[in-house]
Amino acid sequence: MVGNWEKVLWKKQAYADNYVPQGLYPASLQKNPNLRPYTYWPLVVLSCSITQHLAVIFVFLAVFVRLKEETLDPRSLVCLSVFSFFIGYITWNALDGSSRASEHFTNHLKTIKSAIMMFLALMSLSPVLRTLTAATSSDSIWALAAVLFSLNALLADYTVTEPKNAHEGLSSVLSINAAVSASVVLSSHLPTDASVFSLVLFSIQSFALFPSLRRRLQLLPIAAWLLTSLVMEVFAIWLFATLSLVVMWLIASVLVFVTFFAPAILLWAQRYKNILRGPWDVAVPKVN
Amino acid sequence: MPSGNTTTASTACGPFPRRPPQQWHVMDPISIAMISDFFHPAVGGVENHIYMLSANLIRRGHKVIVITHSHGPDRVGVRWLLPGLKVYYIPFLPIASSATLPNFFTSLPYLRTILLREHIHLIHAHASLSSIGHEGILHSHLMGIRTVFTDHSLFGFDDAASILTNKLMIGTLKNVDAVICVSHTGRENTVLRGQLFERSEEDPEVLEVRKSVYVIPNTLVPEQFKPNAQPPGDTITIVFLSRLTYRKGIDLLVATAPKICALFPNVNFIVGGDGPKLIELLQMREKHLLQDRIELLGSVRPKDVLSVLSRGSIFLNTSLTESFGIAILEAACAGLYVVSTKVGGVPEILPEDMISFAKPEEDDVISAISEAIEIVQNGGHDPIRAHERIKTFYSWEDVANRTEKVYDVVMKSRQMDLMERINRTMELGPFAGIIYTIILLVDCLFFLFLEWWIPRESLHYVHHNWDQERFKEVVEEAQNTSRQD
Repeated sequence: MVGNWEKVLWKKQAYADNYVPQGLYPASLQKNPNLRPYTYWPLVVLSCSITQHLAVIFVFLAVFVRLKEETLDPRSLVCLSVFSFFIGYITWNALDGSSRASEHFTNHLKTIKSAIMMFLALMSLSPVLRTLTAATSSDSIWALAAVLFSLNALLADYTVTEPKNAHEGLSSVLSINAAVSASVVLSSHLPTDASVFSLVLFSIQSFALFPSLRRRLQLLPIAAWLLTSLVMEVFAIWLFATLSLVVMWLIASVLVFVTFFAPAILLWAQRYKNILRGPWDVAVPKVN
Repeated sequence: MPSGNTTTASTACGPFPRRPPQQWHVMDPISIAMISDFFHPAVGGVENHIYMLSANLIRRGHKVIVITHSHGPDRVGVRWLLPGLKVYYIPFLPIASSATLPNFFTSLPYLRTILLREHIHLIHAHASLSSIGHEGILHSHLMGIRTVFTDHSLFGFDDAASILTNKLMIGTLKNVDAVICVSHTGRENTVLRGQLFERSEEDPEVLEVRKSVYVIPNTLVPEQFKPNAQPPGDTITIVFLSRLTYRKGIDLLVATAPKICALFPNVNFIVGGDGPKLIELLQMREKHLLQDRIELLGSVRPKDVLSVLSRGSIFLNTSLTESFGIAILEAACAGLYVVSTKVGGVPEILPEDMISFAKPEEDDVISAISEAIEIVQNGGHDPIRAHERIKTFYSWEDVANRTEKVYDVVMKSRQMDLMERINRTMELGPFAGIIYTIILLVDCLFFLFLEWWIPRESLHYVHHNWDQERFKEVVEEAQNTSRQD
């Protein structure tokens, strides 16, 4: 009489050591546990934060080209920057649900003080920035700027929630640094101190301040969020339309690709997802 | 499918001195080389397993040598260990935790010379992180030597280290003659990691597990873990003995120990071991003012393990992953009641009335310890009986016998020729297959070069190694003289 095979080692069993029980093997293997498959439209909505970021980069590049060709007055760009700063700051505060009203006034004063400090520091630095990389050849500058902007787009933080500690926010700090460095190297190819100042000011607006505004915008209803994205994309495309039609089609196709095709590729690639779980995995201890 | 050899298995295993040697042999004596990065003077489960298995195979009349990498400052070359075990320390530098870099070819000149001069028939590689073992499997077929591989650990599938090791393992295990795993969970894991599937003979569409994957548990010498004779008093001591690292679940210990101390005023802890998590234990002890309840021993030498174990009556293991859990077995053998997290191969090693299981959660561990304290307090656990039971479960004679049977099957099977090896290697995939085939072919060319450069005639062969009969005579002589004194 042969007993049933048991998955134990201590018992002497009447089965050879290479006996494999019939049926599904390995028995304790779980494939794709707790997998929630993505669906298309939520992915498209989420991808909007990437397209918004790309649109900001394109707008910045268009502004740079106009400053370089002197078709845009740097003073009007400065005015526009200051104006959009206030608009953005008011929106940012309006969307803030958590903080208490009593602290608001001192917070506003602090913000305005540091904004003025930043403004003056940039203004005094702009002659230095204009000659900083002037001796470097243009080819190197374009290549460097391209690399830095790609780095910026790759490392940017596209998550909805705000980073909880300094470590989580590391990649977004690197991303801001890359973008500001890119604008500094680009600005040395501008003709006047005023245009250098306006460009660096604009870069801080769009790469340092806008991402935190974007995170709060994402908490808006989906329609408002989609509308903002659409406005920014159309604005970027329109800015390039008068500069070069080829580039305009290029960036339009990039934006469409990221919004509509990239989520589809992710959905398609999901069929190859294969998470293997079993008792051999390192358990996660639950401590109260 | 019941094995045809079970009757011989049950008669062949048994206490060593009572049977004449002829009856143990399932097979003719052969020469075996154990190859692994992990061996004495390093200390650990794999190291001990290789040593004990070698000693027991020598006892059965086989010739066994061990090949490992050198240890600084001067452990290079040939050394002998006590029961006539010859160890070759090859001058390779370990990179991290005593493992060498996987470089495929550099070991061939050493291995070829050693394997040929020792007339080796079969190599037995150990541990999946040991690259010298994988290299041994890759090179051996060139000299007509058969290969066996033992996997001692569990790996996941989703971290970088595992992905890399698994890729290397799939390549070497494609052409290995037999694989041994230490637990059923370990086998499921190794089969998946090494892709040890083959097309079924009846239906080529169906993939089934290779016939050459065996489960042979790790084991211990029960005589070395005799339980403490005197019964415990009113205080119950819980022993925790392991490296203090994250994978050993120290977080759970830190969370549960103060609560157990608060719930049971008559319970003390002894914690042995050292590691990066020691500081958290010290902080916990200080924060809850438990200096007189929780004793921290620091690192414990292997020979002191029994004395630490015999001070307690409950053994606590909170590992988050464990392939076999030899420490649990040692503690149970020393008469302790075991509380363990239910991970990896741990549920397989002991019957359920000797061990309490907990999920790796704080509350569950606390309730399992409480249950164990109750059992021990009410005298529901008899240490002497537990020791006697484990004696019947595990023995090195049994393990050596089962391993020998694997060797026998491997030695009697047909060896693959080079073309078959190339075809099988190409099945690995469009990229990996080509890479591994190139490695295989380059290895062949390198071997041919070595055959020309160091001809076999010029090798210094080992003619006389170890005489079992002479050894027996010497031992008996020594016993007689000691009796006369």
